[in-house]
Amino acid sequence: MATKSPLLDPKGVPVVDPMIDPRTGEYAVIAPGHNFKSVTQKIAGIVLTSNTPWGWFGGLAVAGGVATFLIIALTWLFLKGVGIWGVTIPGAWGFAIINFVWWIGIGHAGTLISAILLLFKQTWRNSINRFAEAMTIFAVCCAGLFPLIHVGRPWVSYWLFPYPNTMNVWPQFRSPLAWDVFAVSTYATISVVFWYVGMVPDFGTLRDRATMPLAKYFYGMLSMGWRGSTRHWMRYETASLLLAGISTPLVLSVHTVISFDFAVAAMAGWHTTIFPPYFVAGAIYSGFAMVITLAVPIRKFYHLEDLVTLRHLDNMAKVMLGTGLIVGYGYGMEVFMSWYAASHWEFFMMWNRMFGPMGWAYWLLILTNLAIPLTTLWSRKLRVNALFLFLLSFVINTGMWFERFVIVVTSLYRDYLPSSWGTYRATKWDYMTFVGTWGLFTFLFLLFVRFLPMIPISEIRGMLPQSKIRKGGADAETVVEETL
Amino acid sequence: MKTTKAGNREQGTANNAAQVVTTIAPVGALEKQQQIPYGNDKQNGGNSGAKLTLAEVRAKLSPQRAELAGGPKLEGQSGKRFWKDLDELAETPGFHEMLGREFPRQASEWVDAVSRRGFLKVMGASLALAGLAGCTKQPDEPIFPYVKAPEDLILGKPMYFASAFPFPTGAIPVLVKSDAFRPIKVDGNPDHPMAKGKSDAMTQATLLDLYDPDRSKEVLYRGQRGEFADFQEAFTKAVKASKDGTGVYFLSETITSPTLAAQWKQVQTKFPQAKLVQWDPVNRDAAMAASKAAFGSYMDAQYKLENADVILSLDADFLGGIAQPGFLPLAAAYAERHRYYANDPSKTMNRMYVVETMPTVTGFKAEHRLAVKPSELQSVASLIADHIAKGARRPDAITGDNSPDSPFRFATEVAIDLQNAKGRVVVIPGEQTSPAVHAAAYAINAAIGAVGKTVIYTETVNPLPSEQVADLKALVADMNAGKVEWLVMLGANPMYAAPVDLEFAAAFEKVANTVHLGSHVDETGAVSVWHINKAHYLESWSDARAYDGTISIIQPMIAPMYGGHSAHEVLQSLLDAPQASAYDAVQANAKTYLKGDFATAWRKALHDGWVEGTAFTAKAGGAAAAPKPATAVLDDRQPVPGGVEVRFLPDPSLYDGRYANVGWLQELPKQVTNLSWDNAALMSFGTMDSMQLAQNDAVEITVNGRKVIAGALMVPGHADGAVTLHLGFGRRAEAGRVGAGVGFNAYLLRTSDAPYITAGTMTRTGDIYDLCVTKVNFTEHRGAFAQQDLNKKEYDTDGLYSLPGHEAMERGIIRYATLDEVKANPNFAHEGGPGALVNKVGYGPEGEAPGHGESFFPDAWRYDHEDVSSSTPQKPVLQNKWGMAIDLNSCIGCNACIVSCYAENNIPVVGREQVKIGRNMQWIRIDTYFEGDLHAPRAHFQPMACQHCENAGCEQVCPVGATVHTPEGLNTMVYNRCVGTRYCSNNCVYKVRKFNFLLYSDFDTESLKFMRNPDVTVRSRGVMEKCSYCVQRIEAAKIEADKENRAVRDGEIVTACQQACPASAITFGNLNDPNSAVSKHKATERDYQALADLNYRPRTSYTAGVINPNPELA
Repeated sequence: MATKSPLLDPKGVPVVDPMIDPRTGEYAVIAPGHNFKSVTQKIAGIVLTSNTPWGWFGGLAVAGGVATFLIIALTWLFLKGVGIWGVTIPGAWGFAIINFVWWIGIGHAGTLISAILLLFKQTWRNSINRFAEAMTIFAVCCAGLFPLIHVGRPWVSYWLFPYPNTMNVWPQFRSPLAWDVFAVSTYATISVVFWYVGMVPDFGTLRDRATMPLAKYFYGMLSMGWRGSTRHWMRYETASLLLAGISTPLVLSVHTVISFDFAVAAMAGWHTTIFPPYFVAGAIYSGFAMVITLAVPIRKFYHLEDLVTLRHLDNMAKVMLGTGLIVGYGYGMEVFMSWYAASHWEFFMMWNRMFGPMGWAYWLLILTNLAIPLTTLWSRKLRVNALFLFLLSFVINTGMWFERFVIVVTSLYRDYLPSSWGTYRATKWDYMTFVGTWGLFTFLFLLFVRFLPMIPISEIRGMLPQSKIRKGGADAETVVEETL
Repeated sequence: MKTTKAGNREQGTANNAAQVVTTIAPVGALEKQQQIPYGNDKQNGGNSGAKLTLAEVRAKLSPQRAELAGGPKLEGQSGKRFWKDLDELAETPGFHEMLGREFPRQASEWVDAVSRRGFLKVMGASLALAGLAGCTKQPDEPIFPYVKAPEDLILGKPMYFASAFPFPTGAIPVLVKSDAFRPIKVDGNPDHPMAKGKSDAMTQATLLDLYDPDRSKEVLYRGQRGEFADFQEAFTKAVKASKDGTGVYFLSETITSPTLAAQWKQVQTKFPQAKLVQWDPVNRDAAMAASKAAFGSYMDAQYKLENADVILSLDADFLGGIAQPGFLPLAAAYAERHRYYANDPSKTMNRMYVVETMPTVTGFKAEHRLAVKPSELQSVASLIADHIAKGARRPDAITGDNSPDSPFRFATEVAIDLQNAKGRVVVIPGEQTSPAVHAAAYAINAAIGAVGKTVIYTETVNPLPSEQVADLKALVADMNAGKVEWLVMLGANPMYAAPVDLEFAAAFEKVANTVHLGSHVDETGAVSVWHINKAHYLESWSDARAYDGTISIIQPMIAPMYGGHSAHEVLQSLLDAPQASAYDAVQANAKTYLKGDFATAWRKALHDGWVEGTAFTAKAGGAAAAPKPATAVLDDRQPVPGGVEVRFLPDPSLYDGRYANVGWLQELPKQVTNLSWDNAALMSFGTMDSMQLAQNDAVEITVNGRKVIAGALMVPGHADGAVTLHLGFGRRAEAGRVGAGVGFNAYLLRTSDAPYITAGTMTRTGDIYDLCVTKVNFTEHRGAFAQQDLNKKEYDTDGLYSLPGHEAMERGIIRYATLDEVKANPNFAHEGGPGALVNKVGYGPEGEAPGHGESFFPDAWRYDHEDVSSSTPQKPVLQNKWGMAIDLNSCIGCNACIVSCYAENNIPVVGREQVKIGRNMQWIRIDTYFEGDLHAPRAHFQPMACQHCENAGCEQVCPVGATVHTPEGLNTMVYNRCVGTRYCSNNCVYKVRKFNFLLYSDFDTESLKFMRNPDVTVRSRGVMEKCSYCVQRIEAAKIEADKENRAVRDGEIVTACQQACPASAITFGNLNDPNSAVSKHKATERDYQALADLNYRPRTSYTAGVINPNPELA
């Protein structure tokens, strides 16, 4: 790392901040003062504690309560049919598809952090990658639910899979929905494997530190005989790199394929080539917002400010700024092309999107996705303000939800034949299902933070100054204190 | 197909009544078993001795019923026990007596062993089925198929029988498709000179009326189960006691049956003081009164539009449906004369003028339409008559306001046009107008030489013509005076629909014996002393006259499902042979009009469905006095705030309310308004504006202190200052599960002296009444941003126009031109130039499909590929390439196709709430677009069903391949493969796919099961469906062709919509045959595809409209 001149305040006085590395002038990835033992104790302690905080139980109860909405809504759905929702003709897709795309998009940040940032050797990712990956998996769980339940006959939704059957009937491979099946199932599989493989060394740590027999047994099974030998580490590193290599294209491909659901169709407002990059950027945008939504309260609740530092928040905010600008470019291009294409369909669609009966959704989207984040995120002060970022993450995810709403609904409800124009109005069952998935997501996430190491112990330890071999021998600060 | 049909009909006729009756009995018996409450018959309760009623027999035979009714549970008893009981029971004398009373015909055959066995077989089958109600497994005992099938029944092969649907304005001759003796489709009789195989929405819907599960299923006496025989006994006794029939009154619906009229005449001879009042809430009083005044006797006018170059309709909605007499021939002739033949100059197009209040399909088909307040109609009619009487000439002719939309100018130009086309003109007055309008029409028709050419005056279709409201008034007066001992109501429902000022209910209280013969225990039936369940016309014998006077014999297609009775039987009770059936009565009367050998003539009449030589001939008419012009009213064209003229019209779907319980008609989007499941206060934008109303505001309409509350609906082109209310809604709970409580009851405002036009006030209640409109007709403005197109000024926000209609024109979905324009540019539908809307706008629409080879996509379905596999290449490879052409010039927007499709394709009714959010399941719809200023728009109708695209967007996006293409070009739905992603619907640019969002099909109601077309799947929840081009009919024709080793002939396949279309707007056939009708249609220059530029390559194409406006009024 190159040494930078110290950070100066406007008066020219060097800023004295324990979080700023005096050698590099950068915000520290981890706060100083940690050693192997403190990191291990900090993270493993959350999992292995016998004093589960009451707040956790409270959160679990609330999330579980909200998740029961989902159970009720799905029960009624299976009894009655998708007609309980607001979907109709012409708007045959509604909340289910919007929510599907939204949740899948949220998952993308986890994969980006764990795969792409690993390949780019962005070590700051280590503090957040584990729970970002968990977020991915739970988001994919929520997302994957929707395509299954949104079909008219969910009991035969397995027909979308190419399985051998006596009638030799296969899926229709020209349909983007068939591609979705592969994209999402591959994505879910790789994400789970990557997540699990990354946790194996930490399971070893937990197994060794656990005192309860059940916990020993549980983590022992999960650690798959991890002993921390060099051979293990070598294989672990190789596997991580390989999985990162496999995951990296998935970050781009999954949302690209999902954007094909729209881009392949002939509807004005859907049929556009800009969708793949703009969907991927939007996915990462919303994903990082969700990581912030999760990271800010967790670091506060579990006092992890030392491990998930302002540096992380700052970096994530920068990624959001970048992807947000790409999304903004996408919106601009859509408008430009609707004029430049000289097509009546495109022109009317864009006019209707902006000024039609549902124009409010478009302007809400512009406000929440572009106007608010892209003006504020330039400020470093705001980027390191945890509360602001926390609030902003909600704004952005609202905006991203409305982006999908605008794409799905406003392209459908006034299409080619004016006689068939209609409208879309979600029902209470739509809302219950959507809110229920928040409950499910939060519920699963709370279980995760309680029972699994939410920050990779081994990788944080690897980031400690103690583990660095420096020119000129061991640093004076290095404390050689072995902790397992 | 035709030969088979004829063959079947021959057979069917040979084995007419008896065969049908015996075979079908299980159906009726089953229904009865399920509906009749047991064990509460007060008259004969518990009496197991000498006398038995049918109910007791059933109760004895059905231990499960007894169990249900709270009786002891009988363990281990199943079908076998019933058989045993039946045998035992059959020997008791009480059973014999009951049988004699209940089934006089069968009773006489009872001694015959074969018939007895047949009866037992039938009863046994019904009992076995009754024991199984509610479960779907087969019985434990072995069941057997027909050992010996009925002679003319080949299972799976439908039979066709001719009959007629009696309607107050004249019978509609029908051909009924019958599958295993269940009527499953009602269509026009192709052999009839008037119907020519065409039909209309109501006729089609009578099928569902037959299978209506809420039909009355039994005779009721004071609300309890009664016997028809008991009624006959009591009634006959009372009438005989009165000697001359004093105090006996019949209140019948309009009679079109010569037999019933003959029976009445016999009754009258026998009981001279008995009185018959005919009354229907929607009647022809105006026409009757006017004809009596003009000719001295009641006359009907018959119009011959095939001879008319110019048509003036004075509020006559003769393209709207059978509410206007002669709909079928008028619509057919109008449509034929409205076609444009580019290559045949001898065929000229007609021109139509319409003066009306409420916009109708007739008004919108007219080249020139004048919207006037109801009170002004008469003035306009008089003005035109006056002009013609004076010999109108330009320019001195125009009196009064000369602005383009002035009624004075309209009247003058119409008068001049009528005069110029002397003799080849006709004026048609509407039925819901005043006698003065009819008188004006008589005068004009006489003055312009139309009589004898385009209009003839004949005797009336109703054999006993009368002025109905006056008669009803007299009846009510007699009721109040206590003169009425017996009031026998034959089909009428006065408690619901009688003029409100007559206070019929109060008068009804004063009648001791009230008898109601009706298909439902309706508002009247529920309060009558006797209610007799009426047999449906598909269940009973009768006869009726059609518009042109031809008599059709109505033959039953099925034994009365609930043992219903007909008016013939009621009247027959008073005659010398009281037990004679309707069949006997009809046959007896038929002897008066059937010529030649009776048996042969009878068979021929049944087979053909009509009796030759019974059509009316023209009567020499007396000259009509020209009415005085009344111009004063016309000057007052500003709406008075709060005060409105109220116009009552029969509902285009439900007529006077008699079809309120027919779901197909309730759900049918009404003509022009597209309102479904409701009636509304229909008014113009001007009226709404002046009263500060918004669409869906609830308004209270007050007439003489009587009030109703209705939702306000804007109808483009409605006259200002008037509000139209459709009758037939607001039925009470008695109407049935479908019709009860739908809309509001406009009869509550309607008085005997103002049956169609009255004045009242309208105020906003502040509430919202959310109307159920199936298609958007928002009146919202487009923003100035998108206004720089068409003929609109930039930043014009004053013009009030329909955005969808505007877009439809701009997108080239609707294309039309005037006669002059099409002559200047015959290819106007495809290129710019006069009359062309295509390519008129800078940025679109793109208009045409890319040529072969120009498209980015390969042509997957090129049917002109050469067959390379053959050594001698020949093209095309495929024999058939199905396609459809729809002539927009002919489509009159009457909705007949939609109801026909309902019946043919087992389409479910989804209910109001589902329709309101856009989930109606109709496979075909009539898209209605309003062009131009909504104060006086032009409307265009476009039937829209699956277009069977060659590059179908739906097929590409289905992940499971549930919608696929057949080699012959059908876009087919594989229902059992569909998982319901609905992606296909999203990618369908025509939005013609319909999804079963919930379980819409009724799998439970027994009677509806009999109605279903066995060749079409009944779709369950979660699958997509859509028009299949009636693939079942295509396949049936192909099978026939294969058997005869020939190609399918042109015209052999007729889709259900095509079959019903009274205007013959739809053509279907093989596009690979250059000589087929459809190929010829598609070869015309005016043929275009909707949304062609999207390269979906639809197989359905449209023929662009041509109109023939009067240049002086343009």
